[in-house]
Amino acid sequence: MTETIETVRVSVKVNGEEAVRDVEPRRQLVDFLRHDLGLTGTHVGCEQGVCGMCTVLFDGEPIKSCLMLAPQADGHEITTVESLNGEELHPLQRAFKEHHGLQCGYCTPAMLMTALALGRRGVPLDREQLEEELAGVLCRCTGYQKIYDAVESYLAETAGSGGTA
Amino acid sequence: MTEIVERQTEQTRKSFIGQRRTRVEDERLVRGLGRFVDDVDPPRLVHMALVRCPYPRARIVSIDASAARALPGVLEVLLPEDVLERTDPITILRPIPDAPAIMPRALADGEALYEGQPVVSVCAVSRYIAEDAAGLIEVEYEPQPFVVDVLKAIEDDAPILHEHMGTNVVVTNPRGDGDPERGFEESDVVVEDTFSINRVSGLPMETRAILADWTPGVKTLHVRASTQAPHLFRRQLAQSLRLPEADIRVTCDDVGGAFGLKLGIFAEDLLACVHSMDLGRPVKWVEDRMEFFRGATQARESVHQAKLGVSSDGLIVSYTNRYYVDAGAHNSPMGSPMLSSLMFQGPYKFPNGYVERNVVLTNKVPVGAYRGYGQPEGSFVREVLLDRAARKIEMDRLEIRRKNFIRPDDMPWQTIGGAKYDSGDYRACLDMAAETIGYEDVLLRQAEARADGRYVGVGFGCYVEMTGYPGSKFLGKHNAQYGAHEGVVVRANRSGGVDVYTGVPPIGQSTETAFGQVAATVIGLDPGNVRVFAGDTHGTPVNTGSFASRTLIAGSGAIERAGREVREKALRVAAHMLDVPVETLELEDSVITSTQGPRITFEEVALNAFYAHRMPEGELPGLEATAYYDPISNAFAYGTAAAIVEVDPESGEFTLERFLFVHDCGTQVNPLLVEGQLHGGIAQALGAALFEEIVYDQESGQLVNGSMIDYFMPTAADLPRIELGHTEVASPVTPFGVRGIGESGTIPPGAAVANALADALSPFGVDINRLPLTAEYVWRLLAAKQAAR
Ligand code: FES
Ligand code: FES
Repeated sequence: MTETIETVRVSVKVNGEEAVRDVEPRRQLVDFLRHDLGLTGTHVGCEQGVCGMCTVLFDGEPIKSCLMLAPQADGHEITTVESLNGEELHPLQRAFKEHHGLQCGYCTPAMLMTALALGRRGVPLDREQLEEELAGVLCRCTGYQKIYDAVESYLAETAGSGGTA
Repeated sequence: MTEIVERQTEQTRKSFIGQRRTRVEDERLVRGLGRFVDDVDPPRLVHMALVRCPYPRARIVSIDASAARALPGVLEVLLPEDVLERTDPITILRPIPDAPAIMPRALADGEALYEGQPVVSVCAVSRYIAEDAAGLIEVEYEPQPFVVDVLKAIEDDAPILHEHMGTNVVVTNPRGDGDPERGFEESDVVVEDTFSINRVSGLPMETRAILADWTPGVKTLHVRASTQAPHLFRRQLAQSLRLPEADIRVTCDDVGGAFGLKLGIFAEDLLACVHSMDLGRPVKWVEDRMEFFRGATQARESVHQAKLGVSSDGLIVSYTNRYYVDAGAHNSPMGSPMLSSLMFQGPYKFPNGYVERNVVLTNKVPVGAYRGYGQPEGSFVREVLLDRAARKIEMDRLEIRRKNFIRPDDMPWQTIGGAKYDSGDYRACLDMAAETIGYEDVLLRQAEARADGRYVGVGFGCYVEMTGYPGSKFLGKHNAQYGAHEGVVVRANRSGGVDVYTGVPPIGQSTETAFGQVAATVIGLDPGNVRVFAGDTHGTPVNTGSFASRTLIAGSGAIERAGREVREKALRVAAHMLDVPVETLELEDSVITSTQGPRITFEEVALNAFYAHRMPEGELPGLEATAYYDPISNAFAYGTAAAIVEVDPESGEFTLERFLFVHDCGTQVNPLLVEGQLHGGIAQALGAALFEEIVYDQESGQLVNGSMIDYFMPTAADLPRIELGHTEVASPVTPFGVRGIGESGTIPPGAAVANALADALSPFGVDINRLPLTAEYVWRLLAAKQAAR
């Protein structure tokens, strides 16, 4: 193969672990996470910043990782759905399961990251505010109602625990 | 008489059917560990990108791919002449009755017929480079006259898409009974209108995707697909690629939503396979969202000319609907929807009726199946007209429905459209909806609000839904390339659990959970001891797939049979091991107990069955069964949606204050999942009723809003709280009494909202005749009324 592709070094802390890779400067962050690091829990639905499937936490704040290039994440901290994983479900994951807050599960990791950030923020939200907060991630399967229920119950559970649950 | 299913399982044991259980699928999906096509990156993977026609119609004059071929990292460019000879047209799974098959090809053959049709295909070491290369390919097009409006396409001077047909009307399918014209003469009031239904997209969050991996020499094509029907996919690939089925394995681990759109194979699937066979490397194609709006099948668009005649005492005398489906440029595997015709009668009985489906070609993306398959459109037209008739004769809208309902003791009922309703109490759902929404109170509130200058309205929509197929013989008569049945393998394992193998892939419909509940109930285990393995053509019996609200109907029948065989064999083996008569044995909670005292675990029996060390005389080793179930009839779900709106007549904006859905899907295997299915379907229906519309510009023929930014599917902030209610009349024609539930939610919401709007605006005399019901549309209706004053 005669490819000589210019690369840049990117080092990012992902779910608490340092990851260093050489990537094309135009590599999207979401592709970096999925295909270079193998963290395929974060999904892609539009590559345009609309659907929210690619939502991850960037230094603790939800962002759309299709709108960022991997080199822009150099030196930052990323949190993905995989950070929640253990033998037992994380309380947020459990809330989604108990409330049937997912069907195909494609939007779920993005919903979880959005809700995780809300829990950590710890600011009480009324119904309308919560709907607005969740509106950044689309779901075509559930009609959102049970997602809403799941997030609401998780937020109620974390209130007072400082969002560390 | 309708044949009645004999309920084989006398359920005296513990039943898990009807339990609100959380899902087994969730354990992987909430961890982000589902395996969608793009999650798999095998070694030596390469990527495909396409050049698509930018015009609504154009002749391909020449293609220059030299710059693309010279780009480092590019491995192959396929031009039309490279693939058309080597592949056969894609077969139509559900052909349109009496119509020529207009089958898609892998690449445009001399002429592209819609914006987005694949023209050239490129393979490169990364998707980035493949797209760079696609951008370097120069195609010289000669734009041709086009038509993107369904009614213009049937005019005499319209450009003909497929010259050999001599017309854009693929077929006219009429169906009727009685004498509709006479019926209108005998009616006291006749209402009629032309209704436009919007073109929409099913819009799964995961786009279409394929990973094709050909191993040269050993000749295996392992395909990972995002599909609703892996076994149909395998067959269609075999046909179009001219391979024996044995060479092809289709795996489908997780699908990120499908909704009818992922049925059958598409041009891109063939191309990925051809690249892989040429290169001997795995080839991945994951559709991007821009391609999706130009390549994935769209739905629903149709124009209905409908007419309804009633007597002054509210009886329907005659109803006709002649409609034109905008099918796009050619057939898709699931053709254009059939059920606007079959189900045109809805829940009402009347003596004279006629429905006529005209399938019309236009230079647009082909139309395919979408949840509801014609039923939302037909139901919208009928229910809106019925409200208008009620207003004309000054009869209450609930009253007119109650008068015309087919009643439980009329069942089974043969409809004019050709369906045979199995059972149901339509009035019970309407009454429950009216009571729950507080119909009388809303009317009072409406009067008060009006005195205040505010416009509140309430509306209803009733439906009957065909779920499942009435058997494989029926499909055979219609030339379908599949049967109505499902098959499963139920196999005990040596840890005392049971493995169920099904070709139904996980698309969000919770099959693993529901099948597990059924298997556990039939055999006598806890559902925790049942594992469902789904969606791989290796190791699952040939089946049909997940669509047409049929999976649970046919699948539960197959599990019931196979499960019963396993259970009975386990009891025979246990009887031998315990030396007691088999009649004394019962299997429950994984333990087989004899009324004479001794007991043995299912695990011990299974282990012995596989060792075959101590089997009864003549009994074969193993503890498993394969069974198929072919439905004997459709089951018909039904219900009523109700909506309350408040409209601002100045701007046309309105809020959906309440939305309620009362339904009957027969026996509910898992009420939690039933609610989820309804919520999802209703959200899609409300999206189509309020916001969603794929627009083509009449002048340029160009797609106007082909991106997620411009196509408005509902977000969490756009929908009202959905209230649900249900009745539960078990179907007499299905195993366990189930009726399908996957599509119900999509059917009546549009009509309920439209009728609520018309009710709110009745002082203005506004008639609604299209979807979506945007503020602009409502404003225009009101402005037209004001101008006319
Ligand atoms: S993929 Fe849709 S917002 Fe990033
Ligand atoms: S669960 Fe399928 S998109 Fe949300």
